[in-house]
Amino acid sequence: MTKKISVGIADMKIARREGIVITYALGSCIGITFYDPMIKLTALLHIMLPEQSKINDGNVYKFADSGIRETLRKFYAFGGMRGRTVCKIAGGAQMFQMKGGNGLGDIGKRNTQMVKKILAAEGLRIVAEDTGSTYARTMQIDAATGQVIIHSAGRPDRTL
Amino acid sequence: MTINKYEEMNEMELDILKEIGSIGGGNAATALSSMLNAKVTMKVPEVKIMEFNEAMEHLGHPEDLVAAIFVEMSADIEGIMLFILTKEFSDEVLTRILGKECAEFLELGEIESSVLTEIGNIVISSYITAMSSLTNVDVDLSVPQFTVNMLGGVMSLPIAVMGVDSDRIMMITGEFKIDGKELDSDMLLLPDVKSLNVLMKKLGVE
Repeated sequence: MTKKISVGIADMKIARREGIVITYALGSCIGITFYDPMIKLTALLHIMLPEQSKINDGNVYKFADSGIRETLRKFYAFGGMRGRTVCKIAGGAQMFQMKGGNGLGDIGKRNTQMVKKILAAEGLRIVAEDTGSTYARTMQIDAATGQVIIHSAGRPDRTL
Repeated sequence: MTINKYEEMNEMELDILKEIGSIGGGNAATALSSMLNAKVTMKVPEVKIMEFNEAMEHLGHPEDLVAAIFVEMSADIEGIMLFILTKEFSDEVLTRILGKECAEFLELGEIESSVLTEIGNIVISSYITAMSSLTNVDVDLSVPQFTVNMLGGVMSLPIAVMGVDSDRIMMITGEFKIDGKELDSDMLLLPDVKSLNVLMKKLGVE
């Protein structure tokens, strides 16, 4: 059986050649997969907020901006090449509407916008996405093939 | 002393929160009991200060399907109150009120959804009423929102909101028993750090 590597909230994992990297039940959070098909290198990042706050306790993977930059630093260090890297994103749903909440508004939507902005600034293309709406999504990527599968309750699995 | 982070709270402050949970939860159990016409008791509440993934593990598997009623608190206390019910618990409630279980948890009918929303609403508001009269704080509650979704998705919003300035979240938890039956449900009071200071000040804790 293929090894499963689980990515938590505000977390990132890298795999090469084999293994399924998976993150469960993305709500307003976003899962971002990075894949270099030439060397079969993959990274899966699970962020929960758009931007790093002024003072931070150190978890860079919590935020879209610092999370994507740190993931790319490692991804390139492992031999991934920008020009070959394929990105896919999922999540960013609106589970509940909030008025207050630290002025965050629709966090899912803001996360989605920020992730797209940062990836564009890093010169990366998003080739597929499954974002928005009101339901949670589990996202997984197969390091051997780069195939991304989105699983949600009561819906057929979707391949990105 | 000002509390800047959840993990800075001392024993006495934690005990006060536990006491609030127990009075709020007791009041909520009484309300639930009269609606369901059953004996409803509550387990001793716990105050949990945990890292995000630890908190998730404590509540269950992120892919577990749950019903959740979500209410936003504002005024003196800001934060979120969540009532999370498993299918088992929802079925018990629906059977007692409507006389039948739900056929499809993911596609609840309008009546089933509104019964569960209303139960959540009453449980949450009785909890908060008890808390605010005990501590003399004003709490405004938003209109309750209802969803059936994966647990991880439900928790993503409170975790994000509480996680802006902290790598941990604090939950005051409570679990109900209906007629002695242990059916999984979780009542979570999630105040922000600033509100903890308001609470302590109102109670004369310096």
